[in-house]
Amino acid sequence: MRGRGLWLDLLAAALFVGLLAALPGILRGAYGQASVSYLALGIRAVGLAVLALSWDLVARTGQLSLAHAAFYGAGGYAAAVLLRLTDAPVWAGIPLAGVVAAALALALGGATLRLYGIYFAIGTLAFAEVLKTVVKSTPFAITGGSVGTNLPPLFRPQFVAGAMERWEVAYLRNQGYFLVYLGLLALAILVSVLVQRSRLRHAFTAVRTNEWVAGVMGVNPARTKLVAFVISSAIVGMLGAIEAHRFGSVNPDATFSVHTTVLALVTPIFGGLYTTVGPILAALVLSGVEETLKRTLSDGYLVAYGVVLVVSILFMPRGVMGLFRSLARRRRARAAVGAVAPGGRDA
Amino acid sequence: MPEPILRAEGLSRSFGGLKAVQDVSFSVEAGEVFAIIGPNGAGKTTTLDLLSGLLEPSSGRVLLGGVDVTRQPTYRRCHLGLGRAFQVVQPFPEMTVEENLMVGALFGKPGAPATEAARRVEAALERTGLSHLREAPVEDLNLLQEKRLEIARALATEPKVLLLDEVMAGLRPAEAAQAVELVKQVNAEGVTVVFIEHVMPVVRDLAHRVLVMDHGRELARGTYAEVTADERVVRAYLGDPDPEEA
Repeated sequence: MRGRGLWLDLLAAALFVGLLAALPGILRGAYGQASVSYLALGIRAVGLAVLALSWDLVARTGQLSLAHAAFYGAGGYAAAVLLRLTDAPVWAGIPLAGVVAAALALALGGATLRLYGIYFAIGTLAFAEVLKTVVKSTPFAITGGSVGTNLPPLFRPQFVAGAMERWEVAYLRNQGYFLVYLGLLALAILVSVLVQRSRLRHAFTAVRTNEWVAGVMGVNPARTKLVAFVISSAIVGMLGAIEAHRFGSVNPDATFSVHTTVLALVTPIFGGLYTTVGPILAALVLSGVEETLKRTLSDGYLVAYGVVLVVSILFMPRGVMGLFRSLARRRRARAAVGAVAPGGRDA
Repeated sequence: MPEPILRAEGLSRSFGGLKAVQDVSFSVEAGEVFAIIGPNGAGKTTTLDLLSGLLEPSSGRVLLGGVDVTRQPTYRRCHLGLGRAFQVVQPFPEMTVEENLMVGALFGKPGAPATEAARRVEAALERTGLSHLREAPVEDLNLLQEKRLEIARALATEPKVLLLDEVMAGLRPAEAAQAVELVKQVNAEGVTVVFIEHVMPVVRDLAHRVLVMDHGRELARGTYAEVTADERVVRAYLGDPDPEEA
């Protein structure tokens, strides 16, 4: 019954990821040197999609988490500290970041997920601040203290004189990162689709829409929320590690910035909550809008970007996906004219 | 004598200064249909909330099949076989009728395979007459259908004891008669039923025993004939404008 839907979703996801995987080559062929900056934009967009989709997983259980920066930062620091203290391979930090973020989410979520609504949100807002303070006060030898520490890049393409042009080094580097980001997005999509097509979706939706009744129906609300929180944190932790490698360093203020949390929640709200497509679509659209505004307006672009967000949330309170859905419903209703007018209520 | 399937021992619950339920004790035998009646504000729904775990008692115990579940969360009581339909219908929005039932069927019995859950959903849909509405969003249901959904969802958890909170309220006599038949059928299959009801003919038709509550306390207990002949019960209802009382 659900089986076919699952395979169709996975097929669509595979097509989408496959298409994106071909993008670097296509851009290079079409734009040459300019493809380097297009790819940089692509990396940001895919990164934002991972951030948004992972946040949405928690939102599906009805929890407004303001802790995304904490797990993002914890992931970045997990990789940084591992490579600072040991001779571990460069890539080892990424899975470790996922594990550390998940463990942290298990501990913090276990303590706070019993809080309802706004209290949970406020509680989670403190996570990033607490971690930031903890990192600042650790010995310099471990985390770099308040200064931060450097990480090696994941890719070191070598310039071969005569065989390639200078910009191709940057291209190869961006191509590598783009594919790594895309791999993480593929993982996030896979998790999201599996959640949506399994019994977890019923548990998530039941807990979100009526936690008390969900309990009476046999759903364990605390455990359901914790599952979403831990999975979500593991994904964003790995994102934090990959970004730390790309930026080349971590430091307490930037790595635990509340900006990350804001992006994580604004993007899925713009795209449409509780869906796989919504957050991804929003990340792609918003990255494009931001870049365009930045290029045309330079300094004041953030003001215009804010206006775009406010206006779209005013006119699309259920996000882009909600807009699509209500348009489809209107079309169906128009097609049904002539039949008996439905007496249904419109939410 | 076998252990009663559901037992309340000295249950009390206060909200601030208000003593909503005071020292209420009763036992329900397996297979019984047990009614809780009383004027508005008598503490009936609070009593059900204490039984299903939505509220913690200030004192007293709840035993389910001999197991003390007083400190157990709602979902564990559900796993132990306690089902509940609410007075104010509380379907999960954003879901279809079938999906609403699926929540109870999948999670009401831990570790139930999906095929078995689907079978229980099917059975519950059929017996409540909701099969043709399975794909309907719950927002599209009318009150009668919503009431049926409440019962169906509780049945999908395959309860041993079913708590029904005024499921007949707002139904027309013919609809209420259907609902009475449904409860009788469910009971005939071995499900113990505890229900709150204002419609006295329904209580008369269904209940093996009746607990009358007033001001949070037990006022009387016995068969329908016994409690309705009790002077204290008659007095408690006097002045109550409820026309069904007559």
